[in-house]
Amino acid sequence: MEEKLSLLRAQVKEKMNKIKSAADVENIRVEYLGKKGEVIDILKNLKNVEASKRKEVGEKANKLRVEIEELVEAKKAELKEKEYEYKIKNAEKIDLTIPTEEKVGSLHPITIVQRELEEIFSSMGFTVEDGNEVETEYNNFEAVNVPKYHPARDMQDTFWLENGELLKTQTSAAQNKIMLKYGAPLKAIFPGRCFRNEALDASHENTFFQMEGMMIDKNVSISNLIYFMKTLLSEIFKKDVEVRLRPGFFPFVEPGFELDIKCPYCDGVGCKVCKNGSWIELCPCGMIHPNVLRMGGIDPEEYSGFAFGLGLSRLAMMKYNINDLRALNSCDVRVLKQMNIK
Amino acid sequence: MYISINWIKDFVDLEGIDVEKLIYKFTMSTAEVEGITKHGQDVNGVIVAQIMSVENVENSKKLHKLMVDTGKEKLQVICGAPNVRVGAKVAFAQVGSTIGGEKIGQATLAGQISNGMCCSEKELGISDDHSGIIIFDDDVKVGEDVKNIIPIDDIIYEVDNKSLTNRPDLWGHYGIAREIAAITGRKLKPLEIEDLDLYKDLEKLSIGVECQDEKQLCLRYSAMRVENVTRRQASWKMKVRLFYCGMRSINLLADMTNYIMLELGQPMHAFDNRMVSSVEVKVLKDDAEFTTLDGQARKLDKGTLMIHNDKEPVAIAGVMGGLASEIEDDTTTLFLESANFDAVAIRKTASKIDLRTDAAARYEKTLDPELTELAIARFIKVLKDEDKDIKVTSRFTDVYIERYPHITIEIDKPYIDRAIGKVLSMEEVTTTLRNLEYDIAVDGDNITIEVPTFRATKDVSQKADIIEEIARIHGYDNIEPKTNLWAITPVAKDPTRELEYAAKELLASKYGMNEVHSYVWYNTEMNQELGIKVKDNLKIVNGIVRLDNTLRREMAPTMLYAINKNMKYMSDVRVFEVGRTFEYNFDGKDANEYKVLGLGVASTKNTEKELAYEVKTMIDSIIKINKNMDVEYKNIEEVENNWMHPVNSFEIIVNNISVGYISVVHPRIKDAINSKASIVVAELRIDTLGDIAKHDINYKEISKYQTVTFDLSLIVDKDTKYSDIKAIVDASNMKYLMEYTLVDIYEDAQKLLGKKTVTIRFTIGSYDTTLTKEQIDEEREIVLNALKQKDIYINE
Repeated sequence: MEEKLSLLRAQVKEKMNKIKSAADVENIRVEYLGKKGEVIDILKNLKNVEASKRKEVGEKANKLRVEIEELVEAKKAELKEKEYEYKIKNAEKIDLTIPTEEKVGSLHPITIVQRELEEIFSSMGFTVEDGNEVETEYNNFEAVNVPKYHPARDMQDTFWLENGELLKTQTSAAQNKIMLKYGAPLKAIFPGRCFRNEALDASHENTFFQMEGMMIDKNVSISNLIYFMKTLLSEIFKKDVEVRLRPGFFPFVEPGFELDIKCPYCDGVGCKVCKNGSWIELCPCGMIHPNVLRMGGIDPEEYSGFAFGLGLSRLAMMKYNINDLRALNSCDVRVLKQMNIK
Repeated sequence: MYISINWIKDFVDLEGIDVEKLIYKFTMSTAEVEGITKHGQDVNGVIVAQIMSVENVENSKKLHKLMVDTGKEKLQVICGAPNVRVGAKVAFAQVGSTIGGEKIGQATLAGQISNGMCCSEKELGISDDHSGIIIFDDDVKVGEDVKNIIPIDDIIYEVDNKSLTNRPDLWGHYGIAREIAAITGRKLKPLEIEDLDLYKDLEKLSIGVECQDEKQLCLRYSAMRVENVTRRQASWKMKVRLFYCGMRSINLLADMTNYIMLELGQPMHAFDNRMVSSVEVKVLKDDAEFTTLDGQARKLDKGTLMIHNDKEPVAIAGVMGGLASEIEDDTTTLFLESANFDAVAIRKTASKIDLRTDAAARYEKTLDPELTELAIARFIKVLKDEDKDIKVTSRFTDVYIERYPHITIEIDKPYIDRAIGKVLSMEEVTTTLRNLEYDIAVDGDNITIEVPTFRATKDVSQKADIIEEIARIHGYDNIEPKTNLWAITPVAKDPTRELEYAAKELLASKYGMNEVHSYVWYNTEMNQELGIKVKDNLKIVNGIVRLDNTLRREMAPTMLYAINKNMKYMSDVRVFEVGRTFEYNFDGKDANEYKVLGLGVASTKNTEKELAYEVKTMIDSIIKINKNMDVEYKNIEEVENNWMHPVNSFEIIVNNISVGYISVVHPRIKDAINSKASIVVAELRIDTLGDIAKHDINYKEISKYQTVTFDLSLIVDKDTKYSDIKAIVDASNMKYLMEYTLVDIYEDAQKLLGKKTVTIRFTIGSYDTTLTKEQIDEEREIVLNALKQKDIYINE
């Protein structure tokens, strides 16, 4: 019996060395360890072995069973490894340089810039308001201190509508409504589409975007306005910008300013953006005219404030280096697709 | 407006001041400067020379051979000007001199040597006249540098007119000089004027001014008569200054009126006394035609304010004189007008006839009526300098009907400091105000300010105006930025705006949609080209651009324009815009304005069905993500617009509210864009949807017990909608239904003959127990019975 066990061990080892596939391993396992396997058979028939040798044979047969099991597992693992190696070696090579379908569209540059600004303003405690596009003459002009036949109306060629209203020429058209809605103190911005009745060229559009802001509180001074604008613009351009104020005439503010920034693209050395002027005229602003406050139901003796306008179209052009204003309203997907989502 | 530094120097001593720095300060304290031109730098070494002889040059019709005397030598010069004559003293550019920045060398013309050249006014840059060479008066000295005779050197800076809109006082050099005096802290010299009292005993002129009931149109009319004007040409100084400031020299009297206007901002008019010896200022009773001095016949409305002589209109008040009463070459006696008219009336007239003259541009800024007298006194003084023989033959005759109220402003020092945000010295405040010619009285912290008449017509009326005066002269650059502590309140978010952005971002980031911006009016040409019919709507009445004057009522046409444009170079176009639409009922009232998301997808690779599902998914996602709600789609029975598909148009319904539609584009319009493409458009009312409250999310526990799924394949009519089946299932009262989903729809025209199979997967279960076989079967029976009642059977 012991001889038989040795023989079986030798047989298994020899067969194991020859096999090629996982199926062969399984066959060997069944041949020796299956229900009718030879080793199992020995174990099953231990009762027929003479009593004195039964224990020894049993132990040896069991040892052989364990040995075979280990061999089977080892062989299986070995074959699996070979299979992996083979798969890796023969794997299809994926070319990631192939352009794949990219289901990403684009947001309009104005949307991107507008959202960025709205977030900055929100973080500074400003509410974001919407104005109408069709406005009354009163809201667009009278309520911002531009009476009929005022020469300042020359600055804005207006699209007049058949019902006597107009397409708003400036976001300021919302000032009065917002003041009446919220009263003072007040911090609000109001972005929107504006319209001017003029011929189109690379720097003139009849449809463009502005964003206007107002801050009204007690004791708001010119010095506060400078501080605020400087902080705001540094946030927009993501660097510390130098600003300067010049007198500018806008009927709804007094005093009124033109705010220039030291060109953030060349730090004032001179470049395409600032047309080598080193300063960029960016933002009309000023202390809100007492008449405008009064018309908005706010007492100018108690409150003061400032207002400012930012050209969203202009900022978008600066940000993306767009040199023709008409691109923004072109609906040309080839142009717009270059923008992203953020 | 152009400002001559030479002219300013008449009124302010600029000795020792860097002019460019001064102009920068002017920009920073007064008004925007658009550019600086330095005249005369390109002209050097041009002298007076006298022509000794004139000979024709052989083989040339134009050229003459001259001998000129430069005082030092006699030179041969070839000259093409027609006005050469022996004895004439001319402007002569010697060899080595420069004109127009170019060095003059010896040249050979028609085979003849020319040692220099005789110059025209244009060549010296002092006018556009190139008809002949400059010939000086006989009293000039040969050899003298022409710059000693003609003030060629000057610095001119251009001020942006728009930034002077509210400053009637700055429409003349004297007003600008006042600013410069305040900026530099130097004294403004008083204007040299004629004492008009000298003439008070002379004849009074006949002036009649009509009084209007509502608003007086002529506030003041002043006039004086001057005789014996013999000089025809203005002095070099006047001519060059006018030219540098953008005007053309015409003759002495016309130049005089322009000169005084550029100096004081007061427009003046010189009538030939032969035509106008008395005036009547009144409005036209009827529409009339009138020929202005530029030779144009113009149609004037009744009510236009005119200057009349004893018979007829001779000038449009404040805008332009008439051709008939124009100063002629032989005019020796003039009737000089200096008047003040209502700003609005002048502006209306000038806009109406589209004649924005320098005079009208000034009047519409609301000039100070006090100026009329000063202007006449100055005119007489300057005219005397130009032509010493003139004789004033009337007294200063003045009809002053309406004065502006005198303005006094009370302000206190702490208010000023608070408004500026910086404490200035009382001395600085008072000096600034005095330099700007405010009359002030100081009592402790209080300042009482009398506003000078030239600032009081509308510019300065309240405290804020005084703050501006002080702050700008102090220099905004010198105010340090300072923060302030204001209460911070949390910012409420606007749900509509949030929705708008969320929708935009979703469409762009997940569905490959491109956001476009376009115009809020329809494109008429494109509508015709594509066959799009739009409903009439609110119109622009004065658009200068093409004929696109109807505001859009719908977003879809905008999307179709964009698709049409892009389909020319792409096979897939996916665009959207959030914009306004307008709805006008032709009742003269406000138009309703809506915020609408327009969507358009077009592709030559996809079917209409695929695109419709794609758009539906977008709409579902927007509403699911932002409102946590399901969307209903209802066939539109009768489409309102001709781009909508009569069968495949669907109303989008959320919470029983209609928020828009999805529509396959009508084949007629689709073919006009691209016959191979499928196109689907949609509109979603962002504002309406924004107002719908978000559905709360109610967390539902997952059952601990096993759930069971089973599929039912139902045979239904081909046109049965999924929503019909859904309605039956929902009403069937299944006890353990957890969810059900559509697995498949199978259509086979041949096998199923007008039918289709719809496979639905049901998931049932309980929160309390594992379902028994009987319970499962019973549940199945409930739904099958419900379906059976509607004649829907399963596919066995």
